[in-house]
Amino acid sequence: MSSDRIVEHVTCLGCGCGCDDLTVTVADDRITQVSPACPVGRAWFADGQVPDRVLADGQPVSLDAAVSRLARTLVEARGRCLVYLGADLSTQAQRAAVSLADLLNAAIETETSATAAAGLLSVQRRGRAGVTLGEARNRGDVFLFWGVDPRERYPRFLARYSIEPTGTHVLDGRRGRHLMSVSIGADKALESADSSFTLSPDQEIAVLTLIRASILGNRVAAESEIAAIAARISDQLSQARYAILVHDAEPTAEPRNPLRAEALITLAQALNGPTRAALISLRAGGNRVGAESVLTWQTGYPFAVDYALGYPRYRPERRGGAIVTTGGYRAALLVGSVSANGPAAQAFAAMRPALIGPRASEADVPTTISIDTGVAGIHDEGTAYRMDEVPLELRPCLTGPRSAADVLQQLALAVRAELKASG
Amino acid sequence: MKPGQLRLAGGTIYDPANGIDGEVRDLFIEDGRMVSTLPDGAPTLNVSGMIVMPGGVDIHSHLASASCNHARRLVPEEHVLDPAPAPDLVDQYLARSGTGGTIPTTFTTGYRYAGLGYTSVFDAAIAPLTARHSHAELDDTPCVDGGVFVLMGNDEYLLRQIAAGERQRAQDYAAWLLTSVGGYAIKIVNPGGIEAWKAGQRNLSGIDEPLDGRSITPRDILDTLAGAGNALGLPHPVHIHCNNLGMPGNVEVTLASMQALSGRRAHFTHVQFHSYGGPGWKSAASRIMEYVNSHPEVSVDVGQVMFGPATTITADGPVEYLLYRSSGRKWVNIDIELETGCGIVPLVYKDKAAVTALQWAIGLELFLLSQDPWRVVLSTDHPNGGSFLSYPALIQLLMDRGVRDERLKQVNPKLLAGSALADGLAREYTLNEIAIITRAGPARLLGLKHKGHLGPGADADVTVYSRDPDIARMFSAPRYVIKGGDLVVEEGQLRRAPPGRRLRLAPGYDEALLPDLRRYFEAYSTVSFANYPVRDLRDAPLPL
Repeated sequence: MSSDRIVEHVTCLGCGCGCDDLTVTVADDRITQVSPACPVGRAWFADGQVPDRVLADGQPVSLDAAVSRLARTLVEARGRCLVYLGADLSTQAQRAAVSLADLLNAAIETETSATAAAGLLSVQRRGRAGVTLGEARNRGDVFLFWGVDPRERYPRFLARYSIEPTGTHVLDGRRGRHLMSVSIGADKALESADSSFTLSPDQEIAVLTLIRASILGNRVAAESEIAAIAARISDQLSQARYAILVHDAEPTAEPRNPLRAEALITLAQALNGPTRAALISLRAGGNRVGAESVLTWQTGYPFAVDYALGYPRYRPERRGGAIVTTGGYRAALLVGSVSANGPAAQAFAAMRPALIGPRASEADVPTTISIDTGVAGIHDEGTAYRMDEVPLELRPCLTGPRSAADVLQQLALAVRAELKASG
Repeated sequence: MKPGQLRLAGGTIYDPANGIDGEVRDLFIEDGRMVSTLPDGAPTLNVSGMIVMPGGVDIHSHLASASCNHARRLVPEEHVLDPAPAPDLVDQYLARSGTGGTIPTTFTTGYRYAGLGYTSVFDAAIAPLTARHSHAELDDTPCVDGGVFVLMGNDEYLLRQIAAGERQRAQDYAAWLLTSVGGYAIKIVNPGGIEAWKAGQRNLSGIDEPLDGRSITPRDILDTLAGAGNALGLPHPVHIHCNNLGMPGNVEVTLASMQALSGRRAHFTHVQFHSYGGPGWKSAASRIMEYVNSHPEVSVDVGQVMFGPATTITADGPVEYLLYRSSGRKWVNIDIELETGCGIVPLVYKDKAAVTALQWAIGLELFLLSQDPWRVVLSTDHPNGGSFLSYPALIQLLMDRGVRDERLKQVNPKLLAGSALADGLAREYTLNEIAIITRAGPARLLGLKHKGHLGPGADADVTVYSRDPDIARMFSAPRYVIKGGDLVVEEGQLRRAPPGRRLRLAPGYDEALLPDLRRYFEAYSTVSFANYPVRDLRDAPLPL
């Protein structure tokens, strides 16, 4: 006899694909199987075990005591607080965290990588031609993988969202699509493409520029290797009914040319003259895209927001570890998973932050308060966003510790009470 | 004395739904509703000499959608110029700061709508795939009751049912979709044209032009969805953005669309953008209003263009592409799988631009040629024709011919020859008519029995204005706004910000639909059928 419990239609936040078709098997409150399994998803779910502790200065305390102490600390530091939105939070928890930041006149930072942030700034300058992922699958007949092989970091992107399945307008699946790949230095692109090209990093932007010029009707007639590559790619793209350009918006092996995102954006836009086209910017998981969405609707800006003056200001030029050390902050609240060796944790180590999130009590950082919570989508219900900003239902498969949203809402109440009491 | 009671004493009441046109009366509020009387000693607010109307009802706005959020993100330069510190609420620690511009942040949107005396707002175009996002934004938009219209006019499943002649299944699907995503009305944007844009056909220009490879025309889509909305008994059966938005000569397709649905209730939105004669640019407002005036089943909102900044946000992707090419501004296009599209271009409407001046004039002509204010609603298609914050200036143009004629002298006259406005339209809207086009009319067209009027049983949504000869100033700063019985604006200041209620419907459908729909989802959708419906929506559906 088995005590296995099956939970269907579970959403995985292991990468930005946000596959919501997983079946999770649970036995004795541990995840024993995830199907269909991809390596990123397996690592994301693991056995679903997370600690359940509430600590103050490393010693166990009650949740209420921890929340009251934290509320006092934060209110005393009002105007000099930093709130860091880490990974693995539901959108509901993110909303509560941003409301706290507003109350505390805090600065907010997010998991948005510097590379992804540069891409978002390019979108703010140029706009973009995009799609939700299903359009790639349903319409894309020519794909251009620009310095990326999605299989490693986005394992089901090819099989579920793009080249392999049949689509409403691509009835032959993979056979109905032409794939091109361009490797750039250490950024190796899909090997199994129908045509592959290799560029050195210093050729990249020139080729993108030449492709775009060609698409706009201004082909440069030159007998050079890169002109020939650009001509072949632009010819193929021009023949598409719907071209899909794919790149990795997150940092990769090759140092990112800061012009890549904008060059791809403007190329995808230009392609909509002769045909239809869109750019897919692959994003990492943990609902970091949701944090950008919430920040946008509550502040107008997707990251790097500062409430110090009593309203949101955009400080995209002022990010990363430097603001932690030079920002003059007196209190820091990290919510969500903060990778112990990640740049955020390292930067925050000297500040003795408070942590609210999955595995907070195990973080490798000295803390004032640590409150363990569930992981969004494993223990915590709510909403999370796919890389294309499609909001997804989260169906928890395990009962975990308290939910991050509940703790943050309780903290917001305590902060309000503290503010009222302190007049 | 019970809490929740309030007597509004001595105001001059404009409550057109109850036939009250500027009469001095007391009004009574108890537990969030209008009541016929209250015992002596109930708390009293003296509003004598002031003008009292129901709370405003915006039938067509874009304020809470994934598309709006893409647009918000696109214009940080607007937000930087318009910081919005938290208002001074009675409970100050519930107040939220934000930023403004043409697409303010959610809390600021709620505060600013309430600050204009509006208490109900509909987002007129949401992609069902992102409905969860719309509801989250509405949850963060206080002070106004809100609902969403659900985009269906280019939906792949629906197009397949139409092609197969499965009208009943199309109707069941429309009902399922509305129920699943917490919607209020069926929305059609550029019927078939968005699918044409996505499929490489670029666009459809007439209502009998078929989609490539499919035996479906815009007429079929209009007919099927208007039929479904009417058969389901939806209070606002179908909300239509016609083909060819913004193109010279589009009056023909607009009139053909109206005629195609003759005899059935249908609302045609932002008709200003659909009232252009041709060839070249000229006004065809009189032809549109001639039809509307003589067909009581048709209603419209105007979609007035106001000079100044705007952000165009629409599911009508092909239009935004043309706007991008002609304006040179930044451009977002996002095609949304199986359902619809999304295009965004920020713009500035300049009075020295001939086409913009014509658009402005056409909007005013539509208002001024209307014979039945109950069916011609005030809108700017916020933020497409201008921000909702420009409503007071628009009201002034309608009520004050002097101001209107002065403004007309300042605009580029090049394309205004032959327009009724240039020939001189003397009409001035009365306060009663303004109350109709901003409250009573839209509430009636939406079938909101508890809104848009002040009779017993109505929601206690009330706006009180201090009289002011400057009409724009008067409408931009109500003295009091009451929302569901809460005194939201007090002495011109926002003091309370209660959460809004969700206005949604759950029409029934034949569950025989579901097995086929599940197979379709499994074949083509990237979201699981089981996860598609939005759960845990705020507030129960309204009864049908």
